[in-house]
Amino acid sequence: MKRVGITTTIPAEFIFAAGGVPVDLNNIFIADAAPMGMLERAERDGLPRSVCGWIKGMYGAALAANVEHIIAVSDGDCSHTRSLIEILEMEGVKSLPFAYPYDRDYALLKRQMEKLAAFFGIAFADAEAMMRRMDRIRKKLHRIDGMTWRENTVSGFENHLYLVSASDMDGDMNRFEQKVDAFLAEAAAREPFPHEIRLAYIGVPPIFTDIYPFLETRGARVVFNEVQRQFTFPFDTDDLVERYRRYTYPYDVFSRVRDIEAELSRRGVNGIIHYVQSFCHHQMEDVVFRKHLAGIPLLTVEGDAPGPLDARTRLRIEGFCEMLGSKRRKAAS
Amino acid sequence: MKTLGVDVGSRYVKLAAFDGEELLFSAKLDTIKFYTLCRHAGKVDISRLPVLMEKDFAYKRVVSTGYGRYNVRIEGSAVISEIKAHTLGAACQSGLSDFTLLDLGGQDTKVIRVRGGEVDDFVMNDKCAAGSGRYLENIATILGITPEELAWHTDKPLSLSATCAIFGESEVVGAIAEGAEIAHICAGANLSVAQRLAPLARRYGSDKYVVTGGVALNGGVLKFLGEKLGAELIVPRHPLFNGAIGCAIEAAAVTA
Repeated sequence: MKRVGITTTIPAEFIFAAGGVPVDLNNIFIADAAPMGMLERAERDGLPRSVCGWIKGMYGAALAANVEHIIAVSDGDCSHTRSLIEILEMEGVKSLPFAYPYDRDYALLKRQMEKLAAFFGIAFADAEAMMRRMDRIRKKLHRIDGMTWRENTVSGFENHLYLVSASDMDGDMNRFEQKVDAFLAEAAAREPFPHEIRLAYIGVPPIFTDIYPFLETRGARVVFNEVQRQFTFPFDTDDLVERYRRYTYPYDVFSRVRDIEAELSRRGVNGIIHYVQSFCHHQMEDVVFRKHLAGIPLLTVEGDAPGPLDARTRLRIEGFCEMLGSKRRKAAS
Repeated sequence: MKTLGVDVGSRYVKLAAFDGEELLFSAKLDTIKFYTLCRHAGKVDISRLPVLMEKDFAYKRVVSTGYGRYNVRIEGSAVISEIKAHTLGAACQSGLSDFTLLDLGGQDTKVIRVRGGEVDDFVMNDKCAAGSGRYLENIATILGITPEELAWHTDKPLSLSATCAIFGESEVVGAIAEGAEIAHICAGANLSVAQRLAPLARRYGSDKYVVTGGVALNGGVLKFLGEKLGAELIVPRHPLFNGAIGCAIEAAAVTA
């Protein structure tokens, strides 16, 4: 079966419908036993120190993952992706660009999807049928998300892991669905977590390996993973194009703000962790979040290379959780 | 009751020894030396510190904060975050309860908004230690002067663009090669640190800033920073020991 690399969430319906296996290169990189090796390979081959760790990790992953093609998000993610696919081209990895139109133009987005259909030799309707099959699994992921903040029986890391996997469904949706089913059954039998502080995690998924469990040692649990949730398309529409129009991540920051605001109040969040990747353009959005989400304390955490949290970041997180805990106690008394 | 506060910084370990509300003595020693003296059989035993033995100081409770404590915890010590330690110390030393605290350390810059004597919000510098105490130390070393000598220059500041602690060195070497006066280079270094600090400090704009940490001893940086912020900068009596004082206060409060 044809393995197709992806650089971030794209309409994977087209790959699955063509009998292919989507492979999210980010997941290959970060879930590797030694992700640092992939990043080092990229630097050894000359990629600059001042380029985002995810891009360098994807470079290593693309060469290690044995993929025939890469669908690269050339608009709606970061411009480093364009240079990445050009460099990979020299290594014999072919790629197809996929552009999310910044203005959410319906016809343009549909045209991009039609290109995918033509590339994989399938009809548009085949992808639509696949969407309905994938939605069955996505609904279960929404259930996991609900159990994270309503029943409080799912940890922040579990929420992250299952939701982030929605981009490629581990390349095998049947096996992924079984895994999700088993987890749902296990979590349903749990007692609610006792953590006092409820956090939102906004921004791209973390390159740190232990941020969620560390937060839990500080009495705080993530009850909202912003971008990971978006990967599951929690929107009420059966229109495949509309689905990818409502998906917030590739477009403007203000639609992300509206989505975050709604979830913060629904989920009773006490504090926000805004994760930013070193050398990433999304760092600039910190200005917007600090202004628009001003009612809730926000801690910006920056990560560079894969591995555990560094001592400085741990100190900051600890100070932040301590402050939120004391605010809560004060408000309660 | 005798309490001890220990602030393990990136450059120095600071100690504050209290009897009740009275600060008996304070001491600082190099962080590497601290671990060399105290680390024993995988533990950190501060009773081995010569300063405590010399003063014959037997404390009832010790509270610590700072780096390294995740790896090696000080024996018998309760632990609080640096943010809390510095807030407690600054509120106690300044007698204020609503202010913005600037803790300017060797690597870290903390800006803490304090309301009613408690942490309301805080920001810290990003992953880069540009414009920190270490930068000023490096510049002083290159110029062959002490950080104290560097601290008082504010006249005709030379424009220095690289606040990076490493690249700043070559910039200064270049300035010397071009014949710039040492005093103007010093003033330039102080100005560049203030420039770097001001945007972060403005996050929590205030008419009163309490300034602590080693950089609070640098009069040049304070002058430029005060001008930029247009606010009163209050340096408490023991700026370097502020975190340690906060720890000792916490030690007394918890037992009380």
